[in-house]
Amino acid sequence: MASMFSIGLRYCGGCNPQIDRSKLIRNLKEGLKKIGLQVDFTTDRERAVDIVLLINGCMHACLEEECLRSGHNPKRITVRGEMVDDQHIEERSIPAFLSKKIMDVSQFFS
Amino acid sequence: MMTGKEYIESLRALRPEVFFLGQKIKSVVDEPMFQPHVHTAAMTYELAHDPEYEDIMSATSHLTGEKINRFTHIHHSIDDLVKKQRMMRLLGQKTGTCFQRCVGFDGLNAVYVTTYDIDQKYKTNYHERFRKYLLEVQKNDWMPSGAMTDARGDRSLRPSQQKYPGAYLHIKEKLGDGIIVSGTKAHITGAINSHEILTMPTRTMGEQDTDYALSFAIPADTKGVTYVFSRQTNDTRRLDGTLDAGNPKYGIVGGEALIIFNDVFVPWERVFMAGEYDFTTELVETFAGYHRSNYGGCKVGLADVVIGGSNWIAEAHGIGRASHIIDKLTEMIAMAETCWSCSLACSYEGYKTPSGAYHISPLLANVTKLNITKMVYEWMRVAQDIAGGKIITLPTEKDLDNPETGKIIEECFSGKEGFLPRDIIKMLRLIENMSVGAGLPEAMHGAGSPAAQKIMIARRSGIDRKMELAKTVAGINKDSDFERIVGKDENDHWDEVKKKIREKTVQIS
Repeated sequence: MASMFSIGLRYCGGCNPQIDRSKLIRNLKEGLKKIGLQVDFTTDRERAVDIVLLINGCMHACLEEECLRSGHNPKRITVRGEMVDDQHIEERSIPAFLSKKIMDVSQFFS
Repeated sequence: MMTGKEYIESLRALRPEVFFLGQKIKSVVDEPMFQPHVHTAAMTYELAHDPEYEDIMSATSHLTGEKINRFTHIHHSIDDLVKKQRMMRLLGQKTGTCFQRCVGFDGLNAVYVTTYDIDQKYKTNYHERFRKYLLEVQKNDWMPSGAMTDARGDRSLRPSQQKYPGAYLHIKEKLGDGIIVSGTKAHITGAINSHEILTMPTRTMGEQDTDYALSFAIPADTKGVTYVFSRQTNDTRRLDGTLDAGNPKYGIVGGEALIIFNDVFVPWERVFMAGEYDFTTELVETFAGYHRSNYGGCKVGLADVVIGGSNWIAEAHGIGRASHIIDKLTEMIAMAETCWSCSLACSYEGYKTPSGAYHISPLLANVTKLNITKMVYEWMRVAQDIAGGKIITLPTEKDLDNPETGKIIEECFSGKEGFLPRDIIKMLRLIENMSVGAGLPEAMHGAGSPAAQKIMIARRSGIDRKMELAKTVAGINKDSDFERIVGKDENDHWDEVKKKIREKTVQIS
């Protein structure tokens, strides 16, 4: 049996986020459930995962900098305030946008 | 990279049509009224060759990998954004005035960012065109003036509704090989001593203003372009000698000019926006963000000069150790360093745009500039307070040089032992130049007036989230962090507290 698609969830420090990060993840999980995609989310940084989802509260994206500095470059999707990777996305549309991205990536892995 | 001297000589190759005081100017470089502005811009070139400053004055081109003057660079990291601020402060310190070249610099970065986004939506090739243009700018070390502000006429009307169409720069005709443009750009810093003009729209344009959604670059001496140089406070003093002008080497503010475009042809390869009105907000706000962030650098460099001058003059007057003087200087320093902190913060909080270029934090950049619109007036007020009324009542240089009056003037204006009267007058004139002249309204309106900053701050402040924070702390919203701390539901917790109080014990289990 194939193992469940796994996502390593990383949050930035959250000093002054421009988006509601918890709500975003809540809505994302609900959205993935609705489209029938089972995903194992983990915040355990030691666990091997299929992709990493970086949740930065603002466009400055401390987590992205951290990744670049460490030279650790996993397959990742980056939320930077109202941006996902290099696209401007309104906060309310981010969960649906991420669901589609995750769906695409998971199909690549399956 | 050109040196300061080479930059000045490079201007000789251009033949812009410039008018000032009712006359057509033959040579920008040789005109005494313009020379201080030319010297200041030359400083942006000269310091890039100095090992002491090259680390912040130069950068590595992302297009060629070659060393270039930072003023032609596209920011590609937080470090680039921070170094830009350090460069602003340095040049303010070296010249005590506006060094002009940052406007075109910010224009290059803003157009770079926006053309990328336009192309993503419309599949146009503006970004590719702009990269080619940028390559030319970097290769030739050009200084383009950043021409954003239109004359604007009746501001209650949209650009396309103006009685005089020339109030805004616009496309008159689209041809196979380019466009014909007409209109005016006003208050354009460094315009007469720039190699190129880089235009940008002045405001958000609507569908009815399509012809006004426009960005392009042309050589400064293109046929059909006329400049009318602006009047400044006490400007003709620079024709009276070297003392009365206050800052004869570098002048006051940036040497602004009105640029009139009369049926000017622009080839398509130099057009970077032509009708995409839905990207005018992005271009204006991106430019404004970069430019507003600068003011916490350059104006603080000027503050360093005026603070030093105020301290020196207090010492020359024999009151350098007076407690009220130390207090006033400390106030000035605290205000200046507050603005510097803002400037650094908006760079450190910058971010990568889809184009790959880095942008500053727009919220913090607007806060920076809003502080500048107030604090420059305040530290200059304190400088005037320390320097005394002499800054507006000093005799002229000619009376100082006149044998009949010079000796008594020198005696009158002598100070503490060790300070020469002429030096005291020089410093008082510098403080007058910096605190009484055009520099103050420039700090107010340059890069946009305070109302523009407040609009941007209000839009980006996240006020809704602040309300949620307040509701959580006040106990209106559920506070899950608190519930984890106390180990129970918040309502249950308070019921328990109330019960214990009733039982005359506040010990909570």
